[in-house]
Amino acid sequence: MPNHAEQLSHVFHALADPTRRKVLERLSEGPAPVSELARPFAMALPSFAQHLDVLERCGLVRSRKAGRVRTYRLTPKPLKEAETWMTRQRAVWECRLDQLDSYLLTLKDKAP
Amino acid sequence: MMHANISAKLPQLRPGLDLVFERVVDVPRELVWRAWTTPEHLMKWFTPAPWKTIACEIDLRPGGRFHTVMQSPEGREFPNVGCYLEVIENERLVWTNALEAGFRPTGAATVCGSDAFFAFTAVISLAPHWEGTKYTALVMHGDEASAKRHEEMGFHDGWGKAFDQLVAVAKTM
Repeated sequence: MPNHAEQLSHVFHALADPTRRKVLERLSEGPAPVSELARPFAMALPSFAQHLDVLERCGLVRSRKAGRVRTYRLTPKPLKEAETWMTRQRAVWECRLDQLDSYLLTLKDKAP
Repeated sequence: MMHANISAKLPQLRPGLDLVFERVVDVPRELVWRAWTTPEHLMKWFTPAPWKTIACEIDLRPGGRFHTVMQSPEGREFPNVGCYLEVIENERLVWTNALEAGFRPTGAATVCGSDAFFAFTAVISLAPHWEGTKYTALVMHGDEASAKRHEEMGFHDGWGKAFDQLVAVAKTM
C-alpha cells in the first residue's frame, strides 16, 4: 500500500458494502473456501469474486490456494488501524477541550 | 422561524465515524463563545500541546473562512483550511474542513497532515447550565465511501454496528 492514510480509506470503503461486511462477519468465525462464502448470496461468482478482491486489496482478508480450492481468512491489522485512527482523533479532541476548559477558567479569573 | 427549527435539530450520530464530547465549565456562555470565535483566544488552546497554533483567521459568518496554522514541536507548519457553515452567536458554531471560504470544496490534498485525510464537520453547541455553561462538540467524519452510499442499493444503518463488531473481533485476534 502506498501510504497508511490511503489504505485506511480503502478499508472504510470496503466496509461500506453490505455483502463485504457479511463476508467479513463469516470470516470472523474462521477461514472459509470461496464456495462457502458465496453460498448465501444470489450473485454470479465473478461479481462475488470482485468483492473478495476489494477485501483482499485493502488487506482485510488474505487467500491461499490449495489445489483447486481458494480459502480466505480475516487479517485483523487494517481493522485495528481503522480503530486506532478514531482513538487518536478522540484523544486530540479530548486534549483540545481540556486546554479550552483550563484557558476559560484563567480568563474568568483575570476578568474583573 | 423555519430556518432556526431546522438548524436546532442535531444530525444523527453514526457510530464508528462520529465523536461526541460534552463538557460543563464554570464560565458564562459568552466567554466560551469568544474562546471559539476570536483568533487571539483560539490560538491559546486549539492545538494539543506540544503542538501550537501559530496563525488563525476567522471570518465569522456562514461561508466565512476558518483558517489555522499548526506547528509541530520540530517547527513544521501545517495549514488547516475550513469554512463556517452556521454561526448563531452564543449558541451554535458549525464548520467543516471539506470546504474553504465561500463554500468551495477543498481537495483532500489541502487537508492538513497525513492523519487528517478524512473530511470532518464540527458542531459546537452551547447551552446555559446551573454550573455555568454546557457545551457539546460533535465531530462527524466522512469517508471515501460516503459519496457512493446513495448509489448503493441495500445500504442501511448496519455499517456502524458492523464496524464495531468487526473491531471487537479484531481485538480478540
